[in-house]
Amino acid sequence: MIKIFHVAVREFLATVATKTFVISMVLPILLTLLAAKVLPMLMDEAAPKVTGHIAIVDHSGDVADRVVAAMAKATAEERTKDPVAMATDLVEKSGVSALQPEPQRLTLQVLSPDTNVDEAKAQILKSQQEMSKGGNADARLALAIIPRSSVEGTAKGGFDDFELFTAPQLDVEVQRGIERQIGAAIVDARINLKGMDPDEIRALTDRPRGNVKAVTAEGDKLLNDAAKMLIPAAFMFLLWISTFTCGQYLLTSTIEEKSSRVMEVILSAVSPMQLLTGKVLGQMAVGFVILIVYCGMGVAGLFIASMMSLLPFSNIIYLFVYFFIAFFLIASLMAAVGSAVSDIKEAQSLLGPIMVILMIPMILWLPILRNPNSSFAQVCSFMPFISPFVMILRLSGSEAVPAWQIPASIVFGLITILISLWAAAKIFRIGVLMYGKPPNFKTLIRWIRMA
Amino acid sequence: MISSSPSSSDAVIQLRGVVKTFGSKVAVNNLDLTIPAQSTYGFIGPNGAGKTTTIRMIMSIIFPDSGDVRVLGKNSAVESKDRIGYLPEERGLYKKMKVGAFLHYMGRLKGLDGAGLDSRVRNWLDRVYLGETYKKRCEELSKGMQQKVQFIAAVIHEPDLIILDEPFSGLDPVNRRLLRGLIDDQRTQGRTLIFSTHAMFEAEQLCTHLFMIHQGKKVIDLPLAEVFRQHDPNALMLETINPSDAQSTAWESCEGVETADVVGGTVQITLNSSSTPQEVMPRLFAMAPIRKLEIKRPNLEDIFVKFVGGDMAALNEEKEEFMDAKTRQLAPVDSSSSNIQTYAGGGR
Repeated sequence: MIKIFHVAVREFLATVATKTFVISMVLPILLTLLAAKVLPMLMDEAAPKVTGHIAIVDHSGDVADRVVAAMAKATAEERTKDPVAMATDLVEKSGVSALQPEPQRLTLQVLSPDTNVDEAKAQILKSQQEMSKGGNADARLALAIIPRSSVEGTAKGGFDDFELFTAPQLDVEVQRGIERQIGAAIVDARINLKGMDPDEIRALTDRPRGNVKAVTAEGDKLLNDAAKMLIPAAFMFLLWISTFTCGQYLLTSTIEEKSSRVMEVILSAVSPMQLLTGKVLGQMAVGFVILIVYCGMGVAGLFIASMMSLLPFSNIIYLFVYFFIAFFLIASLMAAVGSAVSDIKEAQSLLGPIMVILMIPMILWLPILRNPNSSFAQVCSFMPFISPFVMILRLSGSEAVPAWQIPASIVFGLITILISLWAAAKIFRIGVLMYGKPPNFKTLIRWIRMA
Repeated sequence: MISSSPSSSDAVIQLRGVVKTFGSKVAVNNLDLTIPAQSTYGFIGPNGAGKTTTIRMIMSIIFPDSGDVRVLGKNSAVESKDRIGYLPEERGLYKKMKVGAFLHYMGRLKGLDGAGLDSRVRNWLDRVYLGETYKKRCEELSKGMQQKVQFIAAVIHEPDLIILDEPFSGLDPVNRRLLRGLIDDQRTQGRTLIFSTHAMFEAEQLCTHLFMIHQGKKVIDLPLAEVFRQHDPNALMLETINPSDAQSTAWESCEGVETADVVGGTVQITLNSSSTPQEVMPRLFAMAPIRKLEIKRPNLEDIFVKFVGGDMAALNEEKEEFMDAKTRQLAPVDSSSSNIQTYAGGGR
């Protein structure tokens, strides 16, 4: 026993007391903080700035003016959001002319209703060619044709759509913006035609939102939809990351012991089983460190955001229980593979097929979370290797998991642990002193049978 | 087969009918071996003969297909690992670990506790002139230095039985001598030693007993003196004062002389089996003025080559085994895998 302890301590220290480990622990934290700040900026769906004009042929007579007004309003609103534009405005207000007046980016050109549509369309192509040669500030980017029937209705009842011809490379966001504004203008024109006030109608039809609060023992709490989805996913990812990180460490440390030929020196003092046990326990401690650090950070984050109500304490207990199961499964796999091969490349070819199975919870976390009691989720809960990951997702999902499935999955996990550790021990005992040709699955199975 | 049979009561290691095969290759074939306490056993034999396999079975690192292995009175070395010091043929260190920490770790794994361990580690490092490497990482050490650290790791817990698999390979003459001294110290302290080697000089210097294995079979298992007695070449070597006498004298005509070959300036004389050097030497003195006349000593290298049947045969066999190992599905655990390394590493 004491030998196992010494092996475990060495394994733990050799992994944790390195710069690489400290960096790999701190870096994700820093990246998360950074991402929390920077990502929303990057994800901002602002349309790129384009210059040019949109031609509009209005057969109804009421739409074009409304689009012009709406665009002018939108541009003004945008300028209040843009610090550069605001500064330019301030400078202009103070009486000094701006050094670089903001160019009018997107303008509207209202064409007369009897314009030849083909000629107007040809202008778009012509602008394209001129642009590719460089220059033409006022390119035609799009042409909208608004039929009278889109405002006044057709003889059969209902309204026609309008047509929008665009340059092929026009940004989707820009195109949608044009579509939205023209569409809104047409609706306004229809309302106007019926003798009503479009602004009033818009205000009346504005759908109210619900203020969602969760009823808890400590009183009503505000709910955050994103957090509600992210917390269960975070649990699963945490489980995945912690087990895989230390599984990976176990793999590399075993391969290192083999390739540096220190293996037999160690085996002169301990039996292969003692070595295996010590290594697995040492890496389990590493996994706990990872789990506690990240879990602690997550809890602290939720506490600061006063969203602790979203995190049932029992789930943290389950996290550790399922970590235990998941870790031993991954560890036995990694130890077996690590002992059988001589370098990391050979290990990858053996691990490939298994990794595909292990990716299932990573890929399918959303459907499992949304529907934790679907038959797919239930089957996955009793599939070796991915069972603990799926269970932790389901337990924090939107529906209660049938009570019997929790102990059942734990017992199932323990049985798979026993089987996989038994097989890993057999492979490990033979593999540690094997050098030369890397074994394939068939060979590994033969080792399990023969030892 | 020639064999001694020491009483088994004081035997440290006993092998009875041990067989080990890897795939189709019989690595060790029906081996009996009894190693008495306080003896120093030299294991010799060509590459791939079964030395390392035998040692690994003694260490319970691999297990025989059939037969018994008893070590220090137990059925398995696992039960008495703390009383055994083992330097494997495939040896290395944790590259990133500090030398002192590694020796502490090995000491602890072998049942030593904290109190005297550090001074023991430092003493040993000083003894092999590596005192200043205590805080260095193992990867910073030269190969010879690493080997000395590995030797310390094998003996730091003062084991009763020390097994060294090719301890001299890769060492320069100075370190060879140092290691020879260290092994000799262990021997004089009454420990039982086994070492496999290709270094015949060291084997002659250190062994009390010699064990030779060839193609998995035991060919010699005797006290060293007995080996020399049995393999006495019954030959003489002489040099004449006048070099031309060496050629012109009819040495074969002397009574008791079987053959006489002139090699360079010396005459190699083999005696017929009924004569002794003591009888023949005075007669040779009478034939020509002689500067030097000596009885040829048996040496292990000659004995080795005699059993293995010449270098070329051994090399051919090695080549076949190498090809065999390459085509075999199950990678060999032991000596034949060392063949692969021998090829890759340019020979030991």
